[in-house]
Amino acid sequence: MNLTISLRDYRHIAITTGLGFLLMAMTLVSLAIGAVSIPVFDVAVILLQKIGLFRFVEIDAMHEVVLSSIRLPRILMTILIGGAFGVSGASLQGLFRNPLVEPSLIGVSGGAAAAVVTLIVFGGAWALPQAGLLHDSVLSLVAFGGGLAATLIVLKMSYHNGRTNIAALILIGVAVNAIATAIIGLAIFYADENQLRTFTFWTLGDLGSATWDKLMFAAPVLIVSTIALTFFSRSLNALALGEAEAYHLGVDTESTKRVIIFLCALCIGVSISLAGMIGFIGLVVPHLIRVSFFPDNRLVLPASILCGASLLLVADIIARTIVTPAELPIGVVTGMIGAPFFIGLLMKAKRNNEL
Amino acid sequence: MYTAENISFRVRDKIILRDVCVSLMPGTFTAVVGPNGAGKSSLLKAMAHELTGYHGDVVVNGRNINTYNPKALSLVRAVLPQSTSLQFAFTVEQVVMLGRHAHRTTRLENISVVEEVLQLTNTIGLRDRNYLTLSGGEKQRTQLARVLAQVWEETVYPRYILLDEPTSSLDITQQQNIFTLAKRVCERNIGVMAIIHDLNQAVQFADHIHFMREGRITAAGEVQSVFTKANIEETFCCRVNIYHDPCNNCPYIIPERELTTVGSLKFKV
Repeated sequence: MNLTISLRDYRHIAITTGLGFLLMAMTLVSLAIGAVSIPVFDVAVILLQKIGLFRFVEIDAMHEVVLSSIRLPRILMTILIGGAFGVSGASLQGLFRNPLVEPSLIGVSGGAAAAVVTLIVFGGAWALPQAGLLHDSVLSLVAFGGGLAATLIVLKMSYHNGRTNIAALILIGVAVNAIATAIIGLAIFYADENQLRTFTFWTLGDLGSATWDKLMFAAPVLIVSTIALTFFSRSLNALALGEAEAYHLGVDTESTKRVIIFLCALCIGVSISLAGMIGFIGLVVPHLIRVSFFPDNRLVLPASILCGASLLLVADIIARTIVTPAELPIGVVTGMIGAPFFIGLLMKAKRNNEL
Repeated sequence: MYTAENISFRVRDKIILRDVCVSLMPGTFTAVVGPNGAGKSSLLKAMAHELTGYHGDVVVNGRNINTYNPKALSLVRAVLPQSTSLQFAFTVEQVVMLGRHAHRTTRLENISVVEEVLQLTNTIGLRDRNYLTLSGGEKQRTQLARVLAQVWEETVYPRYILLDEPTSSLDITQQQNIFTLAKRVCERNIGVMAIIHDLNQAVQFADHIHFMREGRITAAGEVQSVFTKANIEETFCCRVNIYHDPCNNCPYIIPERELTTVGSLKFKV
């Protein structure tokens, strides 16, 4: 009896470790592949040289520059964003007890997009691409601010009598997204062709703009809020029974709801502000984990981080290589691969009566 | 002791509860009966501290319920709702293990508690089954096991279980199973309060009965003294006759068939 129990405990660890290795492998492959292909051996040596090992091995200087100033920041950002999308999708699906929830439901992506398009079209000098780094940072900050503001409005409006009403929250989220869509439509109506193009590319997502400077600001926020979300896995398990039931079991449901939504808004807001809209990772990844393994959130949350990061890396590899030297927008790839893959998962779950 | 003192609750102009007093003793089974809309569920929610905004006090083991945080409260009282919806394919054992959420016990201790309650509720054979594939009776037995796991250990303070019509969708065998178990766990210094629709079941299992109607307690006390024709007729507005089981002398009721048509039924006590 005790043997089977301990085996069951090790399943979590085994699966998470496996996914960790998968992510490491994907990272190496991702560092090696691109417009300039660098042998995996060189990648490993360059990385080890960074921490002071293997100094004696000669490495192509160009390879080193490409790797450390272009590919490495991009890939770190991809990992952080993929993980953040994965874990926020998993926690919001758990919190709303609804497997159809996508992170955008809490209004964060609608708010971000509306803020960005408003800036691009009506922002005048602020939105001029010539401004370089400043332009990028302003867009990022505006996207983040817009996303967070929309989420706070949704949270505030669904609050009544000391409780956050989840049904109201979902509906208000839909309404806020509708308002955002209207604002976007209005801005597009007034936009000239250049502005339209800038905005369209922003909505399709772009991981190519990663720099160490951006990462310095974004990485701490993403890492902290992503890891913080995993601490809610036990409460989310209790919440799967229902809000009242979770409260009876000793979960402080009110603060749990608010903190989870806020952390997810941070994750998604920062991700969107860095890379634009990237759909589907947050919806698909938690399902992938639940269908392939089991739905215990103590597995689903950490596994969604690792799996989300790996999947976004794969999508990014495809986006970078399929039309070299150009690049496909990442949102196109995640949608093209993510959606059919998701349908496949649903079909499997349907056959197994898990839906 | 678990007491509700002068609980009043209204939603806008509609009065749901008026000055309701209930006391629940450890080691006893208390039934709450009454017609639909009498405020039974609201009373239970107020006592579980799920409902807020009422007047009056709920006192648990001598401390006002407002002074408990959710965790501390969950170590003292557990709640079994009418039905629980679960969207994700947890196993039976995982669901029951959720009962140990607030406990700071080791994994091995939790497993032994879970095993005991699985045995008791006769769900041990289902432990690895997907909860979503269970029948209604199996689901409710699993939920009962979860509730028991929450307040299982013997502690210096008494614990309580609140059941909100726990058998409303079950067949009679399953109904008897649930109530028999609830009655048995009273021995562990646990007070049980259950909202029950079937009066015959209430009288069979309960030590105390509270009759409720229109937000008021109409009668309360030990079963022998309050389970009377007058109390039942006043609470339910329905004529009944009380008989006694010839074997164990347990009373049971049969509602009288009205000769008048239901639409024109006018009944005054």
